[in-house]
Amino acid sequence: MVDNIGSSSEGFKYNIYAADASIHDSVEDHSTIKEQDRLLPIANVGRIMKQILPPNAKISKEGKETMQECVSEFISFVTGEASDKCHKEKRKTVNGDDICWALGSLGFDDYAESLKRYLHKYREAEGERANHNKSSNNEERD
Amino acid sequence: MAEQEPESTITESVQPEIPTRRVKRIMKLDKDINKVNAEALVVITHATEFFLQFLAEKSALVALEKKRKTIKLEHLRVAVKRHQPTSDFLLDSLPMPAQPSDQQLLKDRAKSRANKKPVPVGTRKIDAFFQKFT
Repeated sequence: MVDNIGSSSEGFKYNIYAADASIHDSVEDHSTIKEQDRLLPIANVGRIMKQILPPNAKISKEGKETMQECVSEFISFVTGEASDKCHKEKRKTVNGDDICWALGSLGFDDYAESLKRYLHKYREAEGERANHNKSSNNEERD
Repeated sequence: MAEQEPESTITESVQPEIPTRRVKRIMKLDKDINKVNAEALVVITHATEFFLQFLAEKSALVALEKKRKTIKLEHLRVAVKRHQPTSDFLLDSLPMPAQPSDQQLLKDRAKSRANKKPVPVGTRKIDAFFQKFT
């Protein structure tokens, strides 16, 4: 007697999920947005808070979780403002200046000022790095 | 002559504590936002750290005013209210204050009972009704 085992082509189905595959696919329905997608890790949030607070200060779990939410709101809010500006100016890509502008326009002038200075240095450093790479690439092509 | 800093000093020594990949994910949740370039991501990440530190500090101050060591939601709420730009976008997003639990209500009532002046002997009090069952 021969067992009629189904053909092996039916047997295996591989589901391959690419980690960064279109994030938009998973966020059609807000209720399915995982916390890890919309919140910063609580460990990082807690650590940054601890660094700034006096050593004997404690934060309730609810406090830390609320901080996570506040911080995500901040990111969305500032980026949204910067993005609106880009739309109005018919630009597709939000850049560092747009973020600085958004911060200033939303009342976070202190951040805007110090981040403008940071951005300047960042661009200088990136520019130097790009130039260095360009020149070494040229050498290799020879 | 100024010392020549190694190229990557500014971008490496001031690494944000917050992972930029997560920040990017949060930004992308908003479909209206198209592209964000690398420098924008770094700037927003730093800004977020400043904001977090700021809120933490202010909340700690509120907790201190209320003579508490543990920072709670209510302290956060007061801190948010006190800073206009933050209040404008954040106040409505904060979770509602928890309704006092029954436990808390009973505790509060017991406290106010203890503080009341003793009433004349023989006065009928509703407490007597409840005490029968405790």
